[in-house]
Amino acid sequence: MGSPRGEVTPFASLFPVDEAHKAVKRVEEKIAEKQKEMDHLKEFIADNNSIINLVSKLPEELHHDIMVPFGKAAFFPGRLIHTNEFVVLLGEGYYAERTSKQTADILKRRGKALDSQVESLKANIKDLKAEASFFDTTASEAAEGLVEIREDYVDEDLGEEHFESALKGKGESPGLNEKTRMVEDDDEYTRLMARLDELEKEELAAEDDDESIEDDPVANGALEDANEQKEQSNTIESDTVNSEHFQNAISGDLLLYQTHSMQRKPQEQEKIEDVAAEALSNKYQSDLSLNDEQNRTGSTIQPLPKAEKLSSKSSTHETKRHLRNEKASVLPEGKIEAMSSATQPVHMQSARPPSNSSKTEASQSGFDSSKAFTGSIVERSTDVLTTKSATLPPSDSQSKPSRPVSRFKMQRR
Amino acid sequence: MASPAAVRELQRDLENKANDLSKIQKDIAKNHQVRKKYTIQLGENELVLKELELLKEDANVYKLIGPVLVKQDLAEANANVRKRIEYISAELKRLDATVQDLEEKQNSKREAVLKVQQRMQALQAGKAKA
Repeated sequence: MGSPRGEVTPFASLFPVDEAHKAVKRVEEKIAEKQKEMDHLKEFIADNNSIINLVSKLPEELHHDIMVPFGKAAFFPGRLIHTNEFVVLLGEGYYAERTSKQTADILKRRGKALDSQVESLKANIKDLKAEASFFDTTASEAAEGLVEIREDYVDEDLGEEHFESALKGKGESPGLNEKTRMVEDDDEYTRLMARLDELEKEELAAEDDDESIEDDPVANGALEDANEQKEQSNTIESDTVNSEHFQNAISGDLLLYQTHSMQRKPQEQEKIEDVAAEALSNKYQSDLSLNDEQNRTGSTIQPLPKAEKLSSKSSTHETKRHLRNEKASVLPEGKIEAMSSATQPVHMQSARPPSNSSKTEASQSGFDSSKAFTGSIVERSTDVLTTKSATLPPSDSQSKPSRPVSRFKMQRR
Repeated sequence: MASPAAVRELQRDLENKANDLSKIQKDIAKNHQVRKKYTIQLGENELVLKELELLKEDANVYKLIGPVLVKQDLAEANANVRKRIEYISAELKRLDATVQDLEEKQNSKREAVLKVQQRMQALQAGKAKA
């Protein structure tokens, strides 16, 4: 894998095994404490119940014969009288004289209080046990070497990451999601490539239209302007598309944005190279243009830049594929990458009119030298020539070998 | 030259701050314990009050003072228990305020300790470079 677009963090680094074990032990200790308290309270409740029984049974007799404890190790026989009078501890050193029934009531109330305490303790212990089991699973996962793979979603906020980190136990599920996303990504990729092809065809169609209306220079110039505008609008559209995706990226993770920009850099570099190649080829063309032979050579040159463009395009395809194979692919990421690569050919094609305009300037400067070459023809119709030459090269660069003939015809006029 | 002395100074500083921090933590722990005790007592007193209210007027109430059970008036016992409850609540409030104070101090001490540690690390990194 190349540069990760997500984060691959081994559980062991996030939750060191020792610490996880220690946490488990600590929680278990707490649980033990609470259990002891629970047992305590349960004893109290048991005692309470037995006392209630006794208290209700004593008044059945007027007096009871009992063995009275005397000191630590002695008893002597005695009698229990006043069987209905009890001095009950109310709490805080306060006692009250009560009858057996009243005592029983007091005791029952005390029993209820104890019960509520036990309930709260039980809830406490349950929470602690849940915590302990959670720590336990984390420790075992960390020991196994399970890895938490954090992928970046376009639409998710940074808060989602915390959510994911909270669901550490489900470290495997992102892996599964990735697999499904990879499959989807392939489909998405093919779809986007199809769209790319459509866009290219549109561009070519537009240029063909441009070439067909060559004979009228004014109209041609107007058409060229219209074409430029159209392609500018294309660039604007592609820009808006880009900005949309940029917005998505920004709303998504910063990491995604960075990787996106990283991706765009190589693409931009390719774009720059393409433009440079085109400019060079166009300059070459302009130097050799105007004459038939030159046109023919120019036409022969034309396939070359086309081939160059094709090669560069294929190189971008390759890089796209390369990039695709590289990543651990998330669908939106793949989308953005493919979209950016989709927009890139548009950029390339939109780069053509600027290159065309640059070419026109170059061609104009080239034509200055060619003016001297063509001599009288130039003097007669310099304006026509310059305008025509300005308008013609854009179509010329993409025109087929037959076209230069018509251009030459115009020149003669 | 100056750096070892500075390092030693920083270390001393760190120790002092660490001591303060541990003291504060102990205070907080004690506070917690006392609070627990008071809370339990408060609960008990409220129970007693409830029972006393259930008693009839002529019932005998005794108070255990040392090894002696002393007979008390019901009204008196009621009043005593109520006063005790008020006293305990006031104590609890005071303890709460103290605990808050102590916790704030603890946090500030912790930050100071961190800062000193960072300075030490920076110094040591500088020394390692040189």
